[in-house]
Amino acid sequence: MMDERPEIRCKGLGVSDGIVIGQVLRLHDGTQHVYHWRIHDADLETERQRFRAAVELASRQVLAIKEGAEKRFGKDHAYIFDAHLLMLEDEKLIGDIERHIIEKHENAEWAVKVVGDSFLYLYSQIKDDYLRERGSDIEDVMQRLLVALSGAQPGNRNLSEDAVIVSQDLLPSAVAELDLEHVRALVTDTGGWTSHTAILARGVGIPAVVGLRDFYRRTRTGDKIIVDSIRNEVILNPSAETLKFYQGETADRVKRQDSADFKATGPVCTQDGVEVTLRANVEVPSEFEGVETFGASGVGLYRSEFLLARRGAMVSEEEQREAYEAVAKVAGEQGAVIRLFDLGGDSLRQQFDEPEKNPALGLRAIRFVLCNQEIMRKQVRAILLAAANGKLDIVLPMVADVSDVRRAQAVIQEEANNLRNAGRSFGEVRVGAMIEVPSAVLMADKIAQTVDFFELGTNDLVQYTLAVDRGNDEVADWFRTLHPAVLHSIDQSLKAAARAGIPAIVCGEMASTPAYAVLLVGLGATDLSMTPSAIPRVRRAIAGIDSRDALVIIEECLNCDTAADVENLVRERFTKLWPQLFPPASLPAPRQSEAK
Amino acid sequence: MVERTLLIKARLGLHARAAAKLVRVASGFQSQVQLRRVHGSLSADAKSILSVLMLAAGCGTELQASADGIDEEAALDAIDQLFAEGFGEMEPESSI
Repeated sequence: MMDERPEIRCKGLGVSDGIVIGQVLRLHDGTQHVYHWRIHDADLETERQRFRAAVELASRQVLAIKEGAEKRFGKDHAYIFDAHLLMLEDEKLIGDIERHIIEKHENAEWAVKVVGDSFLYLYSQIKDDYLRERGSDIEDVMQRLLVALSGAQPGNRNLSEDAVIVSQDLLPSAVAELDLEHVRALVTDTGGWTSHTAILARGVGIPAVVGLRDFYRRTRTGDKIIVDSIRNEVILNPSAETLKFYQGETADRVKRQDSADFKATGPVCTQDGVEVTLRANVEVPSEFEGVETFGASGVGLYRSEFLLARRGAMVSEEEQREAYEAVAKVAGEQGAVIRLFDLGGDSLRQQFDEPEKNPALGLRAIRFVLCNQEIMRKQVRAILLAAANGKLDIVLPMVADVSDVRRAQAVIQEEANNLRNAGRSFGEVRVGAMIEVPSAVLMADKIAQTVDFFELGTNDLVQYTLAVDRGNDEVADWFRTLHPAVLHSIDQSLKAAARAGIPAIVCGEMASTPAYAVLLVGLGATDLSMTPSAIPRVRRAIAGIDSRDALVIIEECLNCDTAADVENLVRERFTKLWPQLFPPASLPAPRQSEAK
Repeated sequence: MVERTLLIKARLGLHARAAAKLVRVASGFQSQVQLRRVHGSLSADAKSILSVLMLAAGCGTELQASADGIDEEAALDAIDQLFAEGFGEMEPESSI
């Protein structure tokens, strides 16, 4: 009998959707045992050559990783491997190690460790945060040299069929090297929505949960693990009961993957003939493939700030134009909606500036670009130029009222005029507003009269309507997507759009969760945009329901007093009406704090 | 030997990407190229990325560049241009 270890549940942030049952494969992000031995005079040259060969092998590996990363993430994100290559060519580093071997008569591994550690120490003394972090690049390179010296081939780890990678933090090169065909899920202690792990997982369509704090140290390779990114959770050593529950879930999933929903494209129809368009939210080139694979009708939201992910370095107009053209090409006839840079001043701040006290309510999104017109105009020009070769629209993030919209429209108009006067060819774009703050909801009728379309960002809408930071565990009980206040906000915004006769796209996590998507349809939404991999299951849910039933349920929800009431109601009604479509696990779980 | 004073305009200073560009450019010349902080004593071999990164030179730092060798003028011209362009990361006029 195996030792009975208790089930451990750990909450993190699900950054790539899916549920997987698998086995832990711990991936250490650093230290290896390094042995020390003396080299005799006669063997010194051989040892030096052994080291040189390891450097060459490491360089070839990094070059391959760099090329792979360029393809998957774009040139901008592969530059870090250029720095790794230069480190392997660095006379200071390589020369110091060689001299150490010769002068101290010590083996190459030991020399790498001693010299590497001395550099790491120097870096740890640097005052600049960003440059100090470059120590992790030196560690990455040292690690690679040690592996090369040991003769092991990295990347050829024997992955079991159901390997779930568990790590403290995945180094970029480790991620790039993983044999992703065999990895079922990624789990890390650190990281957020835009960490390497998250981006990569979304790109290849495997589940990932990040930000689990001290999960890694609790695991052993071979432990059974359930990764449930939909509930932002991982479960180590699941009990027989938990396992049974999840086996049902995943069996369902496999069945679904073979079904027609995975091959369907175009809009989906409810049983009573209401047509719903399903679009894709994308961010990085690695996600583009999913637009076609999962049958999306174009791109409903392109998060352009990814172009600036290199901590604030500005990309040129030409680079942006190329990026937007690529998005338009992927989106095809249905077109793509480019969201202007949705970022706070903090990400482009000079290092000596004071940080904002309350960045979520600070100079961010539309406010930031309006105050930094060089940046805004450059982006607008790039979009207009790219629109000459594809169908593109612009959406303004976080508008508070009509004045934000008018100011942005004036800039867009001016740039279009400038391009026209310069005789350059550009395309017409429609301009929409993100409805994601309470003032925009309250003023939705006015805003609807000034824009071409609405886009409802449900994540921020929940956060700003309920005044709850979703990243803060202490207030997790207050973050309720199904809060009646949130549902009323969505209802009002959709009605305002309908009154003005403009389309409204609902994006955000709500649209990618089948049960919530059905509620949105009840509210009259006919255009949803989501993570590409979520499209098949949302398609299946919508195809299986009658929108009139959804309407009856949502009207009851709108009359509820509390979020818990809504959640209970949804659980009850969905289970009764559509037991096949919505097994209990696909519905909002009762909160423990409110369990009866 | 020739010398020139350069100002770092790139927002993130001589971080990994900028440093990599600088090292690639400097390594294309035969001359020895050194960088020294105008205020302070740190100096670096411009052909070594570890050395350049350790200058920890942020935006606004002034550096004294010196080149010594047969192509010293050309080397400094190339480096000068790189600094002037903000390492190709942002056009100098788009200051925030």
